[in-house]
Amino acid sequence: MAFGNEAVTVSPFENGGSPTSRPPDGLAGAPVLVVEDERDLAEEIRLELEASGHQVRLSETVDDGLRAARSGAAVLIIDRMLQGQDGLSIIEALRAEGNATPALVISALSSVDDRINGLKAGGDDYLIKPFDIRELTARVEALLRRGDTRLTRLQVGALEMDLVERTVRCDGKPVDLLPREFRLMEYFMRRPGQIVTRAMLLEDVWNFKFMAQTNVVDVQIGNLRRKLDPTGARRFIINIRAVGFKLNVDG
Amino acid sequence: MWTVEVFNERAFRLALGFALTISVATAAAFAFIYLQVSRADVDQVSAILVDEAAKSAGDSEADLRRALELRLTRDIRRLDFVALIDPKGQLIFGNVPVTLHIPIDAKAHFLKEDVLPDANGDKDPAIFVARRRADGGVLLLGRSLREDYDLQETLLRALAIALLPTVLLILAIGAWFAHRASQRFKRVHDAIVRIMKGDLDLRLPFAGEDDIDKIARAVNLMLDEIARLLDHLKSAGDNIAHDLRTPLAVARAKLERALDNESGTEQLREALEAALAQIEKVSLTVSAILRISAVEHGPRETQFKDFDLAAVCAQLLDFYEPLAESQAVTLIAGADQPVPMRGDQDLMREALSNLIDNAIKFTPAGGTVRIEAGIVDGLPFAVVSDTGVGIPLQERGKIFDRFYRGAHSGKSPGHGLGLSIAATIARLHGFKLTVEDNNPGARFEFRAAAPASARREREPV
Repeated sequence: MAFGNEAVTVSPFENGGSPTSRPPDGLAGAPVLVVEDERDLAEEIRLELEASGHQVRLSETVDDGLRAARSGAAVLIIDRMLQGQDGLSIIEALRAEGNATPALVISALSSVDDRINGLKAGGDDYLIKPFDIRELTARVEALLRRGDTRLTRLQVGALEMDLVERTVRCDGKPVDLLPREFRLMEYFMRRPGQIVTRAMLLEDVWNFKFMAQTNVVDVQIGNLRRKLDPTGARRFIINIRAVGFKLNVDG
Repeated sequence: MWTVEVFNERAFRLALGFALTISVATAAAFAFIYLQVSRADVDQVSAILVDEAAKSAGDSEADLRRALELRLTRDIRRLDFVALIDPKGQLIFGNVPVTLHIPIDAKAHFLKEDVLPDANGDKDPAIFVARRRADGGVLLLGRSLREDYDLQETLLRALAIALLPTVLLILAIGAWFAHRASQRFKRVHDAIVRIMKGDLDLRLPFAGEDDIDKIARAVNLMLDEIARLLDHLKSAGDNIAHDLRTPLAVARAKLERALDNESGTEQLREALEAALAQIEKVSLTVSAILRISAVEHGPRETQFKDFDLAAVCAQLLDFYEPLAESQAVTLIAGADQPVPMRGDQDLMREALSNLIDNAIKFTPAGGTVRIEAGIVDGLPFAVVSDTGVGIPLQERGKIFDRFYRGAHSGKSPGHGLGLSIAATIARLHGFKLTVEDNNPGARFEFRAAAPASARREREPV
């Protein structure tokens, strides 16, 4: 997605290294399990995730994948079509055993029903082939870092958000946000330092289960940026080139 | 092809049954005629005899005798047997012995064998009438049925002779029809086999207007439609191939050139980025194709839920307002009341979003994009209108076609596909998506396409 037309553009490896280089506490050591029988794709996923500091374990069949998942994994990435078997059966088996390891389903099946079935079977997210591999990484990060949704006050650097009073302060000074801007801001505040893709924003903030064809997300982010810092000197929300955005923890 | 197998054909068995039925019916008709004719004859003869006897009852013996003599000698067709008997039982005149037992009741009586053998020595059946005269004597009149029985025999013979050729003729006609039908079926079958093998230009043969011809014509129409769809598919396929190959070719050329030259890191990077952008185009196209098929095989009416179309429009206004503002386009959503409809909310949002996307894209600064939803005749509708460049009249019918490449499509990847997706979603909801002139600009309307019963009929893609 080559929409990167905003002025503030950094690569993931500037600003003190990749924000994803530290696996969250408690999950360190547990690998990301990739169950995918197309070796080229599996290898690409492995390289990308390892570059982000994750351990990766590859598996090609439903049976082997299920065994590997039982022995412990931080996140599962599961292809639906595995040599004639449905990868969803892995997730169903795990959930039946009470295993709640977050699972990302990847599939070439894209009908609404397929997606619903994927999520019903216990999948936590659904990605349709062909996908941008960085989109996959961002979603794996999101699954690894699912935060506490019960919080009513969020603070990231100079930014503070009160979810009850629905106010935002920057350096202690109130920032006046429209409801749509507040929702967008909340999404970032809940994922500080984490890459958020346009597709994730569309799905989670606006409930769009498809890609908008225009740069409407970028325009909304631009508006939010101007509200947070009219001078344009500070970088609260930074562009991650060709991937998405990130709320700067040190902003 | 006249072979034994013809006799196994259903048509032949049918002909055989037909022949048998006709034969039985014919025989029955003949029998009926035969019975009627013979009985009518006997009845007539009986009536005449009774009548004659009555008339002669009062005549004097001498007159009667003269008359009877005349009748016997000259008018043999009317009277064959005569007896005039006096009150004492003596035969006065006649050719019948008095021993003949006929009740003297003035009624006709049938005798299986008459008393007098004919020239050939045969005794034929006959009818007699006996009547008491005024003087106490008896008059006996009789007539042989020989001629009538001869006629009946002739009739029977004729019937027997006629029935066999009739049956044979009917069988022959049946066999001929069976043969003709099997020939036709064979021609149709051969044609179907050839069509199945891939000769899609071939059509089933037909000559007239009978049932088989009607079916052949219907199948031919179906084949025309299939051929048209295949053609459509092929041109859509060509367009897909074009949409995919062009960016792939560009990406490849850029990568190869970057590899060939002694490029610096910066140039390599530029080439990679350019190639990535092209691959992104390919990816968008593939996603859109998959999206169309996903929608086409999407939720069925049973999974539809009630939602407020006006609320969806308000959401979309909220979502697109910043984009419109950034392009100095005024975005207005007009729905004063809830617009309840049944369907898939996510898909309707997607369809409207594609239209709004386009509208904002093709409306110059200072223009207006309007989203409306409402109810007409109890049916919900939605309209997205703009004051942009509009859609030329000759393109209006085609822009919803999958992969139609309009004048604008070069600029923005996925443009045409967005409209195809919207049209597909409209169809799924029983809507028809049309485009009108907004003077200036374009006006896209979702309106109920047809009564609910016709909803499932899909338009050709």
